[in-house]
Amino acid sequence: MFWQFKLTKRTAQRQRRSLLGVALTAILVSACGNNQQTTTTTSPSPGTTATEGGTLIWARYGDADSLDPHRTTTTLSWQIFDQIYDTLLAFNDSGEIVPNLAREWQVSDDGTEVTFVLNEGMTCHDGTPFDANDVKYTADRAIDSQNPSVTRGAWGPIEAVDVVDPQTVRFRFQSPFAAFVSFMADPFASMICDSNQELGDQFGVSQAVGTGPWQLVSWTRGDEIVLDKNPDYVRYGRPVQNEGAAYLDRLVVRQIPEAQTRLAGLQTGEVQLIVNPPLDDLDAIRGNSNLELHVAENTGQNFFFEFTVSRPPFNDIRARQAVAYAIDIDAALRVAFDEGLVERERCPISRGVFGNDQEFCGQYSYEHNPDRARQLLAEMGYSANRPMEVILMTSTGDNRERMVQVFQSQLAQVGINAKIETMDIGTLNARVKQENERTSGISTFDMMDWAWFDPDILYQLWHSPGAYSGYQSPELDKLLERTRTTVDATQRREAVNDVMEYLLSNAVHIPLYTPGSLWVYATRSQVQGFKIGPFNRPVFNDVRLQ
Amino acid sequence: MTRYFIKRLLGGLFTIWITTIAVTLLIHLVPGDPVQIMYAQSQSTTPEQIEQIRRNLGLDRPIYEQYIMYMGRVLQGDFGTTIRGNQPVLDLLLVRLPNTLLLAVTSLIITMVVGVTAGFFAAYKRGTWIDTTLMTGAIVGISVPSFWLGLMLISIFSVRLGWFPVSGTNLNNLVLPALTLGLANAASVSRLTRSSMLDVLSQDYMRTARAKGLAETLVLSRHAFRNGMINVVNMLGLQFTYMMGGAIVVENVFAWNGIGRLAIQSIFQRDYPTIQGFILIFATVVVIVSIVLDLLYAWIDPRITYN
Repeated sequence: MFWQFKLTKRTAQRQRRSLLGVALTAILVSACGNNQQTTTTTSPSPGTTATEGGTLIWARYGDADSLDPHRTTTTLSWQIFDQIYDTLLAFNDSGEIVPNLAREWQVSDDGTEVTFVLNEGMTCHDGTPFDANDVKYTADRAIDSQNPSVTRGAWGPIEAVDVVDPQTVRFRFQSPFAAFVSFMADPFASMICDSNQELGDQFGVSQAVGTGPWQLVSWTRGDEIVLDKNPDYVRYGRPVQNEGAAYLDRLVVRQIPEAQTRLAGLQTGEVQLIVNPPLDDLDAIRGNSNLELHVAENTGQNFFFEFTVSRPPFNDIRARQAVAYAIDIDAALRVAFDEGLVERERCPISRGVFGNDQEFCGQYSYEHNPDRARQLLAEMGYSANRPMEVILMTSTGDNRERMVQVFQSQLAQVGINAKIETMDIGTLNARVKQENERTSGISTFDMMDWAWFDPDILYQLWHSPGAYSGYQSPELDKLLERTRTTVDATQRREAVNDVMEYLLSNAVHIPLYTPGSLWVYATRSQVQGFKIGPFNRPVFNDVRLQ
Repeated sequence: MTRYFIKRLLGGLFTIWITTIAVTLLIHLVPGDPVQIMYAQSQSTTPEQIEQIRRNLGLDRPIYEQYIMYMGRVLQGDFGTTIRGNQPVLDLLLVRLPNTLLLAVTSLIITMVVGVTAGFFAAYKRGTWIDTTLMTGAIVGISVPSFWLGLMLISIFSVRLGWFPVSGTNLNNLVLPALTLGLANAASVSRLTRSSMLDVLSQDYMRTARAKGLAETLVLSRHAFRNGMINVVNMLGLQFTYMMGGAIVVENVFAWNGIGRLAIQSIFQRDYPTIQGFILIFATVVVIVSIVLDLLYAWIDPRITYN
């Protein structure tokens, strides 16, 4: 794996404006999203040094669904799992898989057995030892068909989990499953302690026992999650510098749904970290010396176009390619986002994920070429008098509406009339599937986004019947199966390349940009050492308050 | 009176029952399935597994069957667990309900104090600049969206002046959301009070009261105000329903941990048990409040009797 991870940190420009009088109009302008900044400060005098202890309040737009890692897969939830629990393996800064709770691991030659050797002397938050039995408990619980586990598929075709000795655990598979090792570094594979069994229904609701750097104190649902540092924490593989317990005493995760309110809370110093500030007000953060902007990269998120192929015109490759040639992605990104927030993505799997290769994908990706688009449309019998009529759908939020509006005008220039429909993500998911199952009506295509830490995402999206019953072909299925069963890294990379080439040259999956979803954070400048690890994982082990 | 009360109670139960049916039908009309949404994006589960989870949750059954099963459980006090995260629904709602009620009642008090005072003076000083100013203010108040008003208040009183916190669910943070919700509704109450008072002030008995030499304050308080208030109190129940509904928006702006915010989130996630539980609780509160207010109405105006 060769990707690079770097965190863009924009130190705010030092700039202050004196406010002469508080005219109603001025207030109106500022709250409606202008760059008028406030000068309320709670920052310490210059020269103070970072100290240990203290509380950091992290405001997010929503709450976790559960603290049980087998019950939910939302980002809001797993970003909390990541604090309370730990994983057998970890991703380092350059995205390589490194030991964590397991100090070593071995994959058998035929790929059907994976053995982990655990570090010794590890303990859970309740003081019980963490050993191979806890790993088996976690895995068995996650794949138990009696348990409504939502991560079962991600664990792969597990036949059995054997405790070889207290430090050694072996996973046996019915068939090789290449995505397993990277899954062991993902928060969905958080290791829970077997003492949770005694908690019954309270596990994940009011209590949660893990081995992570933070332990649960209380959870007021819809309001806040209070976490205290785990004083016994030992860093084995997390991408942080601090080898032991976190410097902060307490981490409070609070829910503030409205973006403007989150920003106001950061400005007053009521909270020290927010995720997803209003994207139109980022200048208010850059222009305030008390605030800092952080943009996550290599999140594994991919925004792309996909098409309804159950009926004309998109059952014809020329129609799909015409769309791909008609759009000018770079221009659209410049209109929709501040510079440096997102990047154009040329691969169906995004930067940060194994197999992503801009150069390789560049050979098959579509560059802006309106003439070629017009030519393809003409071949299909479309003309200025008979434009292609389609519907372009996307989900609301994060300036996606603006993106599709730019695309709409670009498409109009080559003779494609796209009607825009935006909806919440839940509705969109259902709608795309519905459209794929219909054989009549105006055809649709959509701007969708998925995030995953492994190229297995392509299998989930496109292997028949696929996530949305969209494009399917036996040839593609075969290519996708090879990415699952090939364990050797070099061969797997080739298998992934074959899939990406197929998806691009058949204009099935047109990559657009990354990251684009809940990837912008802002902190008070007093917060030192805040970091967003690969795949959008905020880590607090190194955080100190100045 | 007792008969009336029982009749109202039965009517209330009927209303709640109809509401649960309507909601069950409506939420199933919205496209999107909770399990599919739960799995969407960043998940890897086969369609068979999704099907099995839907079966476990009973989502594969016909709607009427789901509804009957649901009502059967509710009658035993079991509101079920959320589809997302398996949290007990009743707990989620009951923890938040007092917060929403506190916000709604405080806002209602602000509405009544501000709205009635403004309306009363506007009527009493009819045609003067006071009348014009107050009623212009009321038009502005009605027109301003509470979302915007909330952000304005945050911008002035939290960010600039630092008097109140921006968010949170405690008494300290009650002032701004209650003002937001209260002021918007005070505007319509003040207009109603004004027209009702104008009506009363032109009655013959007002002239009589003044003619017999009663002090002006007594004329106003004993004869004008009490009579003028009947219409306004009549509207209280409706106002309270507005407050509960308006709380949904205000709760979002101020991160007030009420049931409205939970409801919005559940709708986006198609978390049927939570939506149904919310509506059931919401409808019950509205029905209880309107019965209580009707009884209060009779107490204020002895001319009204129920039989």
